[in-house]
Amino acid sequence: MNGDTTVTGTVSHLLTPEERQHWKLSWLSTVDHKRIGVLYMVTGLVFFVFAGIEALLIRLQLMVPNNTLLGPDTYNWMFTMHGTTMIFLVAMPVLFGIMNYILPLQIGARDMAFPRLNALGVWLVPFGGILLHFSFLAGGPPMVGWFAYTPLSETPYSSQLGVDYWAVSLLVLGIGSVSAGINFIVTVLTQRAPGMTLRRLPLFSWMIFMNAFLVILALPILNAGLVMLLIDRLLGGRFFLPFGGGSAIMWQHIFWAFGHPEVYIVAIPAFAILSEVIPVFSRKPIFGHEFVAASTVVIVILSLLVWAHHMFTVGLGRAVDLFFVAASVLIAVPTGVKLFNWSATMVGGRVRFTTPMLFCVAALLQFLLGGLTGVSHALAPLDWQTKNSYYLVAHFHNVFVGLIVFAILGGIYYWFPKMSGRMMSERIGKWTFWLMTIGFNLTFMIQHVLGLAGMPRRTYTYPDLPGWGWMNMVSTIGALFMTAASILFVWDLVRSLLRGKPAGDNPWNAWTLEWATTSPPPHENFDALPPIRSRRPLWDYENPDRPDPVVPVGGALDTFRPGKNAAGMITFIISEAGFFGVLILAYLFYNATTQSGAGARELDVLKTTIFSICLFASSFTIWRSEVAERRNNHGKMKVWLVATILLGGIFIVGQGLEYWTLFQRGVTVGLDLFATTFFTLTGFHGLHVCVGLIALMIVLGVGFTRTFKKRHLPALGPVGLYWHFVDVVWLLVFSIVYLWPLIR
Amino acid sequence: MTTQQFLTSAWTWNFAALVSSGVALVAYVWAFGVNRRIVYLLAGLTVFVFTLCSPLNALAAGYLFSAHMLQHIVLLLIVPALLLMSLPRWVSFGRRSLAISNPFIGWISGVGAMWLWHARPLCNAAVSSQFVNAAQICSLVLLGTVFWRQILAPREDERMSPPGAVLYLFSACVACSILGILITFSPVSVCPIYAQPLADRLGVLSLVQSNWGITPDKDQQIGGLLMWVPMCLVYLVAIIAQLARWFAHPVASVVASVHPQHVRSRSGMD
Repeated sequence: MNGDTTVTGTVSHLLTPEERQHWKLSWLSTVDHKRIGVLYMVTGLVFFVFAGIEALLIRLQLMVPNNTLLGPDTYNWMFTMHGTTMIFLVAMPVLFGIMNYILPLQIGARDMAFPRLNALGVWLVPFGGILLHFSFLAGGPPMVGWFAYTPLSETPYSSQLGVDYWAVSLLVLGIGSVSAGINFIVTVLTQRAPGMTLRRLPLFSWMIFMNAFLVILALPILNAGLVMLLIDRLLGGRFFLPFGGGSAIMWQHIFWAFGHPEVYIVAIPAFAILSEVIPVFSRKPIFGHEFVAASTVVIVILSLLVWAHHMFTVGLGRAVDLFFVAASVLIAVPTGVKLFNWSATMVGGRVRFTTPMLFCVAALLQFLLGGLTGVSHALAPLDWQTKNSYYLVAHFHNVFVGLIVFAILGGIYYWFPKMSGRMMSERIGKWTFWLMTIGFNLTFMIQHVLGLAGMPRRTYTYPDLPGWGWMNMVSTIGALFMTAASILFVWDLVRSLLRGKPAGDNPWNAWTLEWATTSPPPHENFDALPPIRSRRPLWDYENPDRPDPVVPVGGALDTFRPGKNAAGMITFIISEAGFFGVLILAYLFYNATTQSGAGARELDVLKTTIFSICLFASSFTIWRSEVAERRNNHGKMKVWLVATILLGGIFIVGQGLEYWTLFQRGVTVGLDLFATTFFTLTGFHGLHVCVGLIALMIVLGVGFTRTFKKRHLPALGPVGLYWHFVDVVWLLVFSIVYLWPLIR
Repeated sequence: MTTQQFLTSAWTWNFAALVSSGVALVAYVWAFGVNRRIVYLLAGLTVFVFTLCSPLNALAAGYLFSAHMLQHIVLLLIVPALLLMSLPRWVSFGRRSLAISNPFIGWISGVGAMWLWHARPLCNAAVSSQFVNAAQICSLVLLGTVFWRQILAPREDERMSPPGAVLYLFSACVACSILGILITFSPVSVCPIYAQPLADRLGVLSLVQSNWGITPDKDQQIGGLLMWVPMCLVYLVAIIAQLARWFAHPVASVVASVHPQHVRSRSGMD
């Protein structure tokens, strides 16, 4: 088992001899999923230090009543930056890093489906993080909380640039996350090893696969909200400003339509880690694999349905509250199924309490509490009492720290040997675990009581009420324990990287494919793969006399392997549909009554109809171009492609003319709600047409190069799909914006 | 009028519904005989008759948009599903007819029925005209059957594969949610005939609006929410059934054929 990994005392064995010469460049320019995974995790760790220091300062400020360590403004930006950083720059990157590293290995792939897109995704994280923190230099960081409720986050109330940087940064990170989500989906669909059918996916991979759908469905909703907020702030739009006719509650709907799935976007990978670690250290296959897998699908779908439970105190009315109480309580069922399955896996197993297992068991128990207080928040009357108290703070930290951070730590202790070839220290690991567990529970358990006693969150200090002082003191002491645990953890990481015991290929005797290669895996991941007939191929390989029951192939879709470019484009189109869906719904909502919209009368329906026909005709021409390409008629293909570009160009010129006319008549984004929604919707469509035109021109250019004369153009199909999508969006926009006013 | 008086008096004998249910029952027994699956048929017909004869129908006929929505969901999703489930496993719909074998057409039927009948003129007409109302009921059951046929066709080989079915149902859920969201938050009345009832035929308007507290605004909100949340839960139940189908596989038989000497349960300790 202990292979040929040599102890050299340095990290140099992570690099090949040639790379040692240019190790900086080889990390900066890497498109290898393993390095990108490490880059994600390191970036997350760096921002964890920032957000952790912020958390510690918050706790120090709250340690005693009437404290003056931080002023109210400092406190406000501190908790804003802490929340935003922890979610978008710590939890998501670190989890994406683990997924990036492990998923391709676990499905027996050589790399992700789109390695360069993967590299883009990882570099957008530090870019987004720097943008967010640049606000310190540009007039002050945001002070609006991680959900930036309007109108507080609008220019009249937050006139400095902090919120703009916040929004732009989240937009950048959102785009990066969507690209990662697309990549995960396409990787699972197209890069699986032979024999790895969809039903044979190990739970970790299956759950990441499902989670990626949630990413591409939920993040675009936030992105749409952010561009609307930015249009309000930078161009004088009126989306969320009540005195301009806009709706501040609209922002809350958009934010939570993203925000609730977001909780699951970071929780499902944690579930995935638990589902991997608990069986391995119980020496049993997971109890009820099918139930854990299917309940994940149910969670993904339900999580998109229940966002309004974050808004019970907004005053949506009893009817809305009732429906969302019922739907939200339902989510406890699939989650409970998972908890029961993990527990049942341990029952009767030979449980080994190594560090990864300890973290995962603690995560399970702490999430049980976090989940139960979550159910209590789903009940509107209870929510009215405890909303924005420390009871809520305790609840979501039980989920975010108690479950997710613990699962991440468990996952890192579990997979670190694979990533580095070295074991982490069990002794330091146990110290870390106990410090972390004691610290976490000291910090947050008492906050339930504080919240029920009435202490509000997001208030920089509190009066010396009976009991509040010592409870906050306990909480702060807990935070100090967690700080110590974090320092110990980082120290263990560095120590193990330099001087850890060699790990060998499979130190935990685990069963999935990532353990079937060397530690760390070679650049191409595998020399040879064991045959895959079940969900534990390595178990079958090592125990040929008593293998797992074969998981039979279930129909054509079980072995489904679409073309990677088309699959990537279709997933991208799904996420784009979400983005446009929000913009269209916003348009419909704000223009439902006819009194708004001086600009609506200025539209020239006839002219736009003519330009629209050009755009719709271009769908036909690009289809002809694809047909010609399939028939190897390159001349015709280029002619039709040029026609498509011309027709698209005419449309864009037409749109430009219309904008010009409107501007001449004084109709600008800030004029009224109609103008704001009109320019946002048509403008983003126009932007997409321009992107499509650029893509078409690139395809045409490639078509003209000599090398492609005799070969196929694989890009034409996906670009064509994108072009059709843009046309379908225009069909909707045209009907709603131009035709609908005529018939009502 | 009190609530109790209303609930006891507002029953109507909808002869078309009763007769068509009777005919369906007789036809079923004549074609397939009495078998276990007739339970689904009886359930489906009971729900159908109840929807069209009970006070729910009285409320849907001009008083409450939300009652109409409940009726709509039941006729589109529950009744056709139960009818399809009542068919014996050997019944084939045939693969020749594109109109009912194409998933895209099935999807458009199910989602289109929802969107189309909530266009303002159609929604109003379905209340004010007996004829349009009858057409609506028939079309909902028919289109619902075309929609569910992809999922619940009696023969396994005529159904969609489970992952496809999950996408089919999920996208239908999203499409209906969007309409539900629009209706819930719409500042204008979707179906104005409910906002200004033409005639208080049963004399229950004050009961509904004062005693029950369902104002036209709230009524529309409840209607939208019904389409948004419970309707999606119906799809979700179907999705769970599809997942069960996807993960269910004859483990023992396959193991027996591959490793005849090692037929054992899945508890591989090391």
